[in-house]
Amino acid sequence: MLEIRWHSRAGQGAVTGAKGLADIIASTGKHVQAFAFYGSAKRGAAMTAYNRVDDKEILNHEKFMKPDYVFVIDPALVYTTDVTINHKDNTKYIITTHMSTDELKASQPKLADKEVYTVDCIKIAQETIGRPIPNTPMLGAFMKISGMYDIEFFKDKMKGVLSKLPQKIIDANMQAIQRAYDEVK
Amino acid sequence: MAFEKMKLKEIEVWDGNMAASHAMRQVQIDVVSAYPITPSTPIVENYSKFLADGYIEGEFMMVESEHAAMSGCIGASAAGGRVATATSAQGLALMMETLYQASGMRLPIVLNIVNRALAAPLNVNGDHSDMYLTRDSGWIHFDAYNPQHVYDLNFIAFKVAEDHDVRLPAIVSQDGFMTSHTAQGVRTLDDDTAYNFVGEFKPMNDMLDLDHPVTHGVQTEEDWHFEHKARQHNDLMTKVFPKIEEAFDAFEKLTGRRYNIVETYHMDDAEVAIVCMGTSVETAAEVAKELRENEGIKAGVIGIRVLRPWPYKQLQEVVKNLKAVATLDRSSPNGAPGMLFNEISGVVINLDKRPVINNYIYGLGGRDLTKVHVAEVFRDLKANADAGKLTTPTQQFIGVRGPKLSYL
Amino acid sequence: MSMENTGWDGFEIGAMLRSFDGPAKDIALTKQEDRNYSKNNSFTASVADWRIIKPVFNKDYCIDCQFCWVYCPDISIISRDKKMLGVDYDHCKGCGICVEVCPTNPKSLLMFPEQKDTEEAIAEWPEKEKKEK
Repeated sequence: MLEIRWHSRAGQGAVTGAKGLADIIASTGKHVQAFAFYGSAKRGAAMTAYNRVDDKEILNHEKFMKPDYVFVIDPALVYTTDVTINHKDNTKYIITTHMSTDELKASQPKLADKEVYTVDCIKIAQETIGRPIPNTPMLGAFMKISGMYDIEFFKDKMKGVLSKLPQKIIDANMQAIQRAYDEVK
Repeated sequence: MAFEKMKLKEIEVWDGNMAASHAMRQVQIDVVSAYPITPSTPIVENYSKFLADGYIEGEFMMVESEHAAMSGCIGASAAGGRVATATSAQGLALMMETLYQASGMRLPIVLNIVNRALAAPLNVNGDHSDMYLTRDSGWIHFDAYNPQHVYDLNFIAFKVAEDHDVRLPAIVSQDGFMTSHTAQGVRTLDDDTAYNFVGEFKPMNDMLDLDHPVTHGVQTEEDWHFEHKARQHNDLMTKVFPKIEEAFDAFEKLTGRRYNIVETYHMDDAEVAIVCMGTSVETAAEVAKELRENEGIKAGVIGIRVLRPWPYKQLQEVVKNLKAVATLDRSSPNGAPGMLFNEISGVVINLDKRPVINNYIYGLGGRDLTKVHVAEVFRDLKANADAGKLTTPTQQFIGVRGPKLSYL
Repeated sequence: MSMENTGWDGFEIGAMLRSFDGPAKDIALTKQEDRNYSKNNSFTASVADWRIIKPVFNKDYCIDCQFCWVYCPDISIISRDKKMLGVDYDHCKGCGICVEVCPTNPKSLLMFPEQKDTEEAIAEWPEKEKKEK
């Protein structure tokens, strides 16, 4: 069982990202779950989304999770929420920030002894898609860190997930995914 | 046909709401009369988009309340069409009066309930207090534990409800957010296969049959009311289960997916078991398997697939050899033991040998039921089984803050 | 079959009632007396015993204006081809609305005690009223 927790603000596309990832993983024959906590939250409120992946049918419906990966797609959430809650010894963090990994760890001591990777998904999204929607670049970074799929295979699948969008937007998302894949450290 | 067919992947990653919307699209409903409410909103939202995009030939009635939504369904069903809607929580509570009208008039409407807590305090998350309202309303009630079940049970609900030997409305319930907004893989049927499984709607006593005028919604006082209610109860008790079995069999033949009136997990040699509904059934099943491996507890899980008619005899068969049973109710009984405790107690009361039964109230307003909670319940059950009597209070609360709450 | 002897399983489901036994094609063009009303239809139930006074029709003064036919709340004015024929005493409850709306002078419908013989009633019919100047 692979478990992922997303930290996001409502409106940044964590739910869409989690469902898109689930969609792609399901197409390779694995079992998936993608869900979120929202309540009546408004756009901008901190929220979490989740993925579960397994080779066998997923029966567990508890919301509690000790994640293998934590994705943080808004830079401020590292300070205003506890992104390390319910962590495991080997939990990996992929965090959106303009800082280097060392700078980030210095600014948030909770992350000091964690396996942290950083990438500026917000900047990448602004420069490619033209809007600060950091969900698809985060998935590009995840492909690099996890080695889950070859990046070309992943992008090809992602085109299918985004197929209802205009071609220009799909192309921009592909650039964003590739850049995050290349830039994550 | 004047509508487009949709090409689906063999496995789609859908949440429970999307699964319900697609099932409703595929059975080609004549009238959907609906008023949106969280968390069921996406069902009718998706459905109306399918309609606007030309994938459905039917009417979508936007109405001013849930009471009006079900009233619209009743009118359309009496007129002679295939009819469905969806709602949650306060909306279902407002709809209650008309649920009795629908079942008393024997109109085969399908209602998707996406379970949500009843206010106050206001809460949009999933618990079973809304669907517990419908228990005595004369509707057939199927419960889904995941999006696949939502999809499949919708087809089965239409098929059973519309059968001329049944002609009773049917509910398909799913857990708000935990199923309705959780995307999982759903094995799909192509449009023609799905439609053909349910078949063309066959009207009965329909008002649009102008050569055979009928009066629906008549008044009967103490002279005849009892006979009509007796007939409805009789048909629920005697006619519905055979038709559900038939539909489950036909569905298994078509898809390989098996449904049962009472679902059992690890029950073959079980000594203790949890009885529950919704997503908790699957979570508990996973815990039962783990405890068998790790702690040697002969644990099993009983899932209520059909809440109404109540599977009294079927449950007797399943529980008769158990030593201890925990009934888990995701609804505050507000001054009584929980519904499942009472009804399971009724199932065993006249057996020669009966298990010790206790009751847990859990998960109100979407409070997480964790695997740790479930494991604690199984350990309580083990202690009860070993002692041959209750070692805990009859009713306990799980996962609530503060000092432990227990009663009786 | 008498309704009283019908058991709980003797009904069609849903408290649904049929107006007619068998099909009812062209029912609008079929006269009431020729319609195959079911035992559940109110046409087969008489309310004659509700009356203490009854409307008596005197065709000598009737102008076939159809006012009584339009206003009768129990569809108890028998009219064919716009000719007033009389009163359906099985369904008339004796409310007197037909008399109230009758525009002729003297009226073509008047209320009499239920037991009054029709011929006697017509023999006692009042004269035309003179308008006061």
